[in-house]
Amino acid sequence: MKTFKKVLAGILAATTLLSVSACGKTEEGGTASGGATTGGAAASGEEVTIKFSWWGGDSRHEATQAAVDAFMKKYPNIKVECQFGAWSGWEDSMSTAFYAGTAPDVNQVNWNWISNYSGDGSIFLDMNKVSGTFDLSQYDQSALDQCTVAGELQAIPVSMTGRIFYWNKTTFEKAGISTPTSLEELYAAGEAFKTTLGDDYYPLALGEYDRAILLVYYLESVYGKAWVVDNKLNYTAEEITKGLEFIQSLEDKHVIPSIATILGDGAESLDKNPKWMDGKYAGIFEWDSSASKFNSALNEGQELIVGDYFKDFGEYQGGFAKVSLAFAISENTKHPEECALLLNYLLNDPEGTAIMKSERGIPLSKAAFENCKTQGLLNEMVAEANTKVLAWVDYPLDTQFENSKLKGNPDGVYYDALGGLSYKEYTPAEAAQILVDGISEVLAG
Amino acid sequence: MADTTEVKIVSDSVTAEARARKENRKKVSNEPSKLEKFWKNNFGFMFILVWLVGFLIFRLYPFISSFIYSFSDFHLFKGIQEWGLMNYEDIFTDKKIMSSLGTTFAYSFITVPMKLIFALFIAYILNYKIKGVNLFRTAYYIPSILGGSVAIAVLWKALFRDEGVINAILGFFGAEGVNWLSDPDYALFIISLLRVWQFGSAMVLFLAALKNVPVELYEAATIDGASKARQFFSITLPLITPVVFYNLVTQLCQAFQEFNGPYIITQGGPRGATTLFSLLIYNRAFGQYEMGMASAMAWVLFIIVMVLSVIAFLSQKYWVYYGDEK
Repeated sequence: MKTFKKVLAGILAATTLLSVSACGKTEEGGTASGGATTGGAAASGEEVTIKFSWWGGDSRHEATQAAVDAFMKKYPNIKVECQFGAWSGWEDSMSTAFYAGTAPDVNQVNWNWISNYSGDGSIFLDMNKVSGTFDLSQYDQSALDQCTVAGELQAIPVSMTGRIFYWNKTTFEKAGISTPTSLEELYAAGEAFKTTLGDDYYPLALGEYDRAILLVYYLESVYGKAWVVDNKLNYTAEEITKGLEFIQSLEDKHVIPSIATILGDGAESLDKNPKWMDGKYAGIFEWDSSASKFNSALNEGQELIVGDYFKDFGEYQGGFAKVSLAFAISENTKHPEECALLLNYLLNDPEGTAIMKSERGIPLSKAAFENCKTQGLLNEMVAEANTKVLAWVDYPLDTQFENSKLKGNPDGVYYDALGGLSYKEYTPAEAAQILVDGISEVLAG
Repeated sequence: MADTTEVKIVSDSVTAEARARKENRKKVSNEPSKLEKFWKNNFGFMFILVWLVGFLIFRLYPFISSFIYSFSDFHLFKGIQEWGLMNYEDIFTDKKIMSSLGTTFAYSFITVPMKLIFALFIAYILNYKIKGVNLFRTAYYIPSILGGSVAIAVLWKALFRDEGVINAILGFFGAEGVNWLSDPDYALFIISLLRVWQFGSAMVLFLAALKNVPVELYEAATIDGASKARQFFSITLPLITPVVFYNLVTQLCQAFQEFNGPYIITQGGPRGATTLFSLLIYNRAFGQYEMGMASAMAWVLFIIVMVLSVIAFLSQKYWVYYGDEK
């Protein structure tokens, strides 16, 4: 009995030690920072496993998984383990992983993550160190510069994106009107939807953050100046008040549903909202790279089309384009060359790019763009939207625009100001002051 | 001769000493070594090593480190720039934090009594010998196992959205629908309802307590003509007060730390109406990476829960009846 007890205790102790050691942070990585290994394990035929993470919708998951499978077939000694999911909550888990050094080897990252998490270049690998494996010549220097922070090229930009209108043509036809091309027509559509289709129908649906972006687009169109210049908010409270009155006018004229109405729908996001799916919300102001997601969410028999920028907002061409997303290699990866090989396959290789298509927007890689274009693989709607965005927008985007203190849901500044305005807790002037104070505080660091 | 005798006596005493030394050595060699003694004395720890290591790493270390960090402006990606009491000062001057604290108190004081009353009510019914009682007991316990999950969030949203099941039922009876999820006045109630719905564990404890109430007391009360209600308030309730007390303390602790409900259903909205304190701590820590502030907030929450628990314990002597008391 005594021996049995000792054996039992031994097993328990051993199990504990094993489980604890498994929780430990890997210290072996990090060689990459001192210079990437040339050739890597792949060249020697040694079997390696790398982890790859991304977020997105179903169509992106399917395309990326298919591309990864093809990559593993081409390089049988490299095993790629995929981690993917929806955007909701994704940044929370990734930020912790970056800090703890447990992030996957290759990660899809948002543009502002580079400055937010790796301002000193300690989280992501300098891609220049693996330029022997990853073909950087496929990218314009201006695009690479947008991902260069602390003197290091910390990520590879995949595509450029901007917000543009999309309209559910079917619903507009049901209302007996054509899709709007000006603010005046949009106001008229609000009235037409209400009288012809009913109170539940709106020509456009905007959440708090969508409203913040539309506000900037509107103000830039009216005043002809960038939102932030030299790390300072370039608009006064009075000017922003005018923009917020415009946003409120959309609600008042039945163009957009109130925030309360959208929350009452009980949907996680607009593309999962039943009212979007069945055409009751007939328009969005979204990233051009999100077109597929919103289009595929529509119920059968409905047609989504790309809209035009409104020329009657003001004299100027407001709005901005930014790097939609990028791929970064973790600084502490043990296999930088293999990671670079994977990225090169997904972003530059004819085989990989043909599978990835335009699931992350219109590729910035010249090789990928040409390949997809000649093979007719670009999503027509995304391509059309992207062309319109890049031809229209005139202003730069400040990296702090997407700072979590501003963009965070529900206690970010945009949510507070624009939600409070919609709930009639704030007047436009009060909401404007909240924006001015909040944004200035973030910009001051 | 005398010399011979003396020599013999000396020789005998030497032999006795040697024998004693030998005996002693024997005794000493039978005694366990220091290492064996240590192993014997601490052998039991091996059985709790799994728990112990878990406790040290996942409880004690965060407990101490969060206390230290609470006096710093520790930011996940900027590090520590300053030490001091600034986080605690900010907590009591920040409107959002104080509002969240108020919401948490409101949530706890709505949820706990509702849950205890409902759990006791169902346990009281299930204490009777009714057909299929075991099935009912299992069915009522199931929601407690489900916890807070995506499936529950989908269910709750389907029930309470503007065009959801509850409003459809209200509409059937001619009543106007309510904006459960988007109206700040109702959203907290919806979150409370989720926790109340998960009353199974409290119910099981009440059920066990009800079973222990002596039947003779009810028989005597019935003979004396006491009504069921009188029997409940004069016999049942006083005798199960220890379990009521236990449920009260545990549910209060849980309610103040509630996270899942608002996180999965409303994300703290609308307009912060369901931003409970633990959710705000999470947002500060993992949304804004302000670990120092989040640690200070966690300590404030800990102190509040501790004070309320102490008050509950001190109040025992006024209302909790233990059988061994005179």
